[in-house]
Amino acid sequence: MASLELEHIAAGYVEGIDILSDISVRVAPGSITGVIGPNGAGKSTLLRTIFGFLHPRRGRVTLDGQEIHSLAPYAIKRLGISYVPQGANIFPQLTVEENLQLGAWVIRHDRDRVSARLENAYEAFPRLRERRRRRATTLSGGEAKMLSLAKELVTEPQLLLVDEPSAGLAPRIVEQVYARLLAVREQGVTILLVDQNINKAVAVSDYLYMIERGEVRREGTRREFADQLREIVRDSLLGA
Amino acid sequence: MSPLARRIGWALAAYAALAGLPLVVSDYHTHVFIISLYYVILAASWNLLAGYAGQFSLAHHTFAGVGAYTSALLCLYARVPILVGIAAGVVVAGIVGYGLGTLCLRMRAIYLALATWAFAESVRLLIAVEYPITRGDLGLKTGFLFGTPHPTPYYYLFLGLTLASLLAIWQLVHSRVGAYLRAIRDDEEAAAVMGLDTFKWKRVAFVVSAAFAAVAGGFQGHYIGLLSPTPMKFNEMAIIIIMVIAGGFRTFSGPVLGAVFIELLSEELRAWGEVRMVLFAILVLVVARAYPAGLVGFCRAAGRRLTRSMPGLAPILTPQRRED
Repeated sequence: MASLELEHIAAGYVEGIDILSDISVRVAPGSITGVIGPNGAGKSTLLRTIFGFLHPRRGRVTLDGQEIHSLAPYAIKRLGISYVPQGANIFPQLTVEENLQLGAWVIRHDRDRVSARLENAYEAFPRLRERRRRRATTLSGGEAKMLSLAKELVTEPQLLLVDEPSAGLAPRIVEQVYARLLAVREQGVTILLVDQNINKAVAVSDYLYMIERGEVRREGTRREFADQLREIVRDSLLGA
Repeated sequence: MSPLARRIGWALAAYAALAGLPLVVSDYHTHVFIISLYYVILAASWNLLAGYAGQFSLAHHTFAGVGAYTSALLCLYARVPILVGIAAGVVVAGIVGYGLGTLCLRMRAIYLALATWAFAESVRLLIAVEYPITRGDLGLKTGFLFGTPHPTPYYYLFLGLTLASLLAIWQLVHSRVGAYLRAIRDDEEAAAVMGLDTFKWKRVAFVVSAAFAAVAGGFQGHYIGLLSPTPMKFNEMAIIIIMVIAGGFRTFSGPVLGAVFIELLSEELRAWGEVRMVLFAILVLVVARAYPAGLVGFCRAAGRRLTRSMPGLAPILTPQRRED
């Protein structure tokens, strides 16, 4: 089980403007750690920095003690980190099965393993099995999100970064997605979840951080956040 | 029979079918077909880079020039055999492509186009001003590969080269590497998320397409017998783009049809001079706006229409094929 640690991270897209100004986060092995906060707080930037799309200007990111903040995304993926970005992270012109096969790219040489992982993905998401020969562009929003998640799970990551899994989805689909995340955690996968759906994030996370303007404003266990939920929602909506 | 063996069989059949052309047309028309084949290689290899990998380079014609000049200069100054010179030209173009790709391929869209265009103009100007070595705009004489300017042997050579290049590009596009390139083109970030080293594969496409251009340029240089920086002007790149767009961007056969069609049309309209470029530009605008599928799309639509009226022709007119 993987543990991730971010120490005093500063990062941004434009020189001189920090989206993350001083973030320290610890993701315990085998846990779901939630990150919540208002729009523009830097939640997605945090995940993009961990996955190597952005390199931090200050601070360090470590996976099981190994520094990873200067690595490219493909190298980070090979360390066992998968990233499910916001929106449907799929190739619309490819079939569902081809998307899953591409998702298994890092284990492509082991064909038996790829077949077994695809079978697991179909068991976890039966709807995808029904549509395995269809182009991904024909999927509904919920199915596309499931495919996006399934595509990242076929490599059996140690650490899963998930950005806004409930955005734009019907409530029934949202329930399925969170149930899947909990099942994945039960298999020993460490999850860092970024979400605007505060109720859901608090319900599924073991530990939470609330960030605003690139800094951690609050942190605590699920119970601590649940006890102060009304105040947290107000802070998140209005900005503390 | 394996799919590759079947495709080689088709290529050999095409070679046999087209081999009789010089026997029934004039030397001038044979020459025009040779130039068409030269452009087929350039258009198909640029389509590999821009159409399949999504990297819009404006320096493709320059790699043909790099291949041609490298070979010509090595033959002239180092007295190497022509085939060794051409091989060296391909290697040099590949190395230059690797370097240019390393510098430019982290740029996106218009920035990549501008950077590659600036590189292309720099190379052209360098060749033009270094006339003590390259003879600049005066032109650099090259040896004829077959010792004669007569087009017939070159036609057979270019026909073989073109079919071999198309076969290689087909294999590449329909391999796992082709899937990577299309994934990068469709969504580079999603490709990176699945663990692809997107920069590496874009650079592979850049080097491979540069090598194909250098092959075409090297052999063409030793057919024409004279090199000058003029074909390295932007007009040449524009012609390649026009051929691909008119034929069908992002399709395999589009650049083939487009290159032959535009080159033949260009020869027919030779008396119009530079006005041809205006006509071609209008053609591209019309195709891009009204019929993006290009000549390939037109042929397919005609095939479907004919199939509906004559169902017996269906197996011939609409075979199952992987075109994308």
